[in-house]
Amino acid sequence: MNLAVTKNDDGTVLTVAIEGSIDTVTAPRLEAELNPLYDGVRELILDFAAVDYVSSAGLRVIMSADQRMSEAGRLVLKNVCEDVREVFEMTGFDELLTIE
Amino acid sequence: MITVKHLRKSYNETPVLHDVNAEINPGEVISIIGPSGTGKSTFLRCLNLLERPDAGEILVDGVNILDPRTDVPKLRMKMGMVFQQFNLFPHLTVLENIMLAPCSLRKEPQLRARERALELLKAVGLVDKANALPEELSGGQQQRVAIARTLAMKPEIVLFDEPTSALDPTMVNEVLTVIRNLAKTGITMMIVTHEMRFARDVSSRVFYMDEGVIYEAGSPQEIFEDPKRPRTRAFIRRMDMLCFELDRSDFDLYHFRSEVDEFAVRQMLEQKKRNAIQLVLEELIVNLLFSRVVKAQLEVGISGETGETEIRAVWTGNPENPLEAEDDAGSMARMILKKRCSREEFVRENEGSILTLKLFGGKQ
Repeated sequence: MNLAVTKNDDGTVLTVAIEGSIDTVTAPRLEAELNPLYDGVRELILDFAAVDYVSSAGLRVIMSADQRMSEAGRLVLKNVCEDVREVFEMTGFDELLTIE
Repeated sequence: MITVKHLRKSYNETPVLHDVNAEINPGEVISIIGPSGTGKSTFLRCLNLLERPDAGEILVDGVNILDPRTDVPKLRMKMGMVFQQFNLFPHLTVLENIMLAPCSLRKEPQLRARERALELLKAVGLVDKANALPEELSGGQQQRVAIARTLAMKPEIVLFDEPTSALDPTMVNEVLTVIRNLAKTGITMMIVTHEMRFARDVSSRVFYMDEGVIYEAGSPQEIFEDPKRPRTRAFIRRMDMLCFELDRSDFDLYHFRSEVDEFAVRQMLEQKKRNAIQLVLEELIVNLLFSRVVKAQLEVGISGETGETEIRAVWTGNPENPLEAEDDAGSMARMILKKRCSREEFVRENEGSILTLKLFGGKQ
């Protein structure tokens, strides 16, 4: 999995573009990439445009990111493809997360 | 009539029959189906001692024919066999081929043997070929003569070893029609065949052989319309199988995924379905199996025709049904499986656990 991180100018909205699969192998790496990024961020945008696969391991990392962001801001998922959206729906995560 | 117990046979230390058990009753017509190399013909050949089993018992009318004192020629008179190759004597006419064994082995008078041979030729529709040589007949006609020759010995049971496999497709039906008519006479028959429609129509029971055992037996309806076991289902529904020995200590998810994906591409599955299979497999293996056991066997079967996919995991050790467990780690996996699979089934069998998942078929 390639993880491309883009931070916007004002330093409060962070966009993280993810590429590839978020699965048992890559989920811990995504978590490690996200961990140092939360401080001072009001809105974390995960751009899923290039994510074609998410398993429950990936869902756990996203859920954990959502919980951390809920303390001081919000997490938004963008450009989620149909296959991945279905995984959110199957597990009820589509109702817990902000998906745009 | 015939009871088979724990029959085993190996060739050069390669086991072909592992543990075959069967009961064949008078008047039954049993078709034996299954993939190539699973011991179907070997089983049949063991029954009339063309092959000597390594172990086990074959009781014919209560007598163990593996006893060294068994009168093998007498046994073979009870049990006729029709082979893939017709094995007619090329220098004898059709009539002489049929009369040979009754005259020489049963010591029947020529006239009676001739009458009987003509009757049988009439029954297989070849009375006008009585004086022809085998080389003057088509393959289908030669096989019909071979069937008449077998019946001339008045066997109590007829064993057919792939009787149409060596035939041009245009000749298959004429031979099957003869066997079909024979089945109506009430004679006991066992037929190794790849002709599924024939097996379904003609049999009173079907044995599905796989892995050197009678893997599943049942009525034609049970075997062809509602097979219970995964390998039977895979065979009947023409699935290709990919098998894995999973070991948690050295499991490489990406290597595994690439093998499954290549296999699914070969079955012409589109990307969306391939992703669904990958998701189900990852959840099953990582969150349901490896949280319980270190090792498991896994089979992935895909029908190239319909795309129907069946996943079967087998393990020993932990008897818990992972589909009904309440562990947190598996909760999301269970949700995903429930939504992605049209059928989930867990059974305990001989100390082992078998979990079967079906995708893209049935109600989905």
